[in-house]
Amino acid sequence: MQIHWDDTQPIYLQLRDRVLNMILDGSLQEGDALPSVRNISAEYQLNPITVSKAYQLLVESELAEKRRGLGMFVIEGAKEKLLKQEREQFLTVEWPALLQKIERLQISLDELFKRTKDEESDHE
Amino acid sequence: MSNILEAKGLNKKYGSFKALDNVSFELAPGRILGLIGPNGAGKTTLLKSVLGLTPFEGELNIFGLDPHKQRDELMKRVCFIADVAVLPRWIKVSQAIDFVEGVHPRFSRELCEKYLEQTKIKRNSRVKSLSKGMVVQLHLALIMAIDADLLILDEPTLGLDILFRKSFYEQLLNDYFDDNRTIIITTHQVEEIEHILSDLIFIQDGKIVLDDSMDAIADSYFEVMVEKEFEEAALAMKPMNVREVFGQKVCLFNGIAKEQLQELGKVRKPSVADLFVAKMKGEAA
Repeated sequence: MQIHWDDTQPIYLQLRDRVLNMILDGSLQEGDALPSVRNISAEYQLNPITVSKAYQLLVESELAEKRRGLGMFVIEGAKEKLLKQEREQFLTVEWPALLQKIERLQISLDELFKRTKDEESDHE
Repeated sequence: MSNILEAKGLNKKYGSFKALDNVSFELAPGRILGLIGPNGAGKTTLLKSVLGLTPFEGELNIFGLDPHKQRDELMKRVCFIADVAVLPRWIKVSQAIDFVEGVHPRFSRELCEKYLEQTKIKRNSRVKSLSKGMVVQLHLALIMAIDADLLILDEPTLGLDILFRKSFYEQLLNDYFDDNRTIIITTHQVEEIEHILSDLIFIQDGKIVLDDSMDAIADSYFEVMVEKEFEEAALAMKPMNVREVFGQKVCLFNGIAKEQLQELGKVRKPSVADLFVAKMKGEAA
């Protein structure tokens, strides 16, 4: 498979983010094994050092662990931890920015909620 | 970690033409080095020197061995795939396997058979009846089955279609490369190897014009899509290359902090090809 890497940030960060997203959307479950460095390296044609760096970051942020002779695994509680971080990020950074934009466009919160409800009932 | 290869002040002349002009570099184990240069820059001469195939001036040692005086010893640890498939056309696949098994003490017949099972190559076919892609597959299977410490690939994927090229590098990374092995690759297809490299050397007119790890390059070279209002400021910072895209100047900088450049416009990592073009232009000027 060929991925198009974004050239504004290092590949190992993008690789880490891919794993994070996979944990968040459930395609990687807690306790699941991550593919081996060799595997990822061959599949995406990356230097193994790049892949190791991404995995190292996951270990440092205590989302994955290395089990001797078995490889890397998603830690129990990783998803909750990530969700917590993502919520925090959203509430402290993204939401205030969004709120500012909403105010600038003079959209009332009531109207927003109404629309959200409409959409939900559309989906039903 | 000690280096597996050290070259110091290599010089090589063909008549008055300097094929190698004071070339020095080092290489540690577990690295993948890309040796990039225009045609006639000296890449092949350099590789030939490393393999003990051509005399040169200067100091060169690989695994502490002199490629000229200790070539037999060196050849047990070094493998080589040249840009032209050199397998004789009349030989049968099974004979080629017998041959390598006979001449190379570190060849594993079992491994070679395992690699060939992943291909459509038949043991009783002759090389002349194989497609170009299959010849390269056969060559790679023979070479990867040798437990060598240094693998040298000179334009290994030349003339191969995109599927064969991809599976070539995939197999190399999956079945061959590890922390104790080192690979040197020359190619014109820079974009397909740039992410697998750990080190990069540019060579031009027999001289090394860039020699760095990919990590160091990522930290020191940045390309900026300069906003119109900052054009003058950007040019005053002496970019090593300026090109224009949709009327906007794209400047390549070396050794200026990313944070500082972000004030001028959108910053991105230059590709090896961008870097190569800029360097070659710069050196020629």
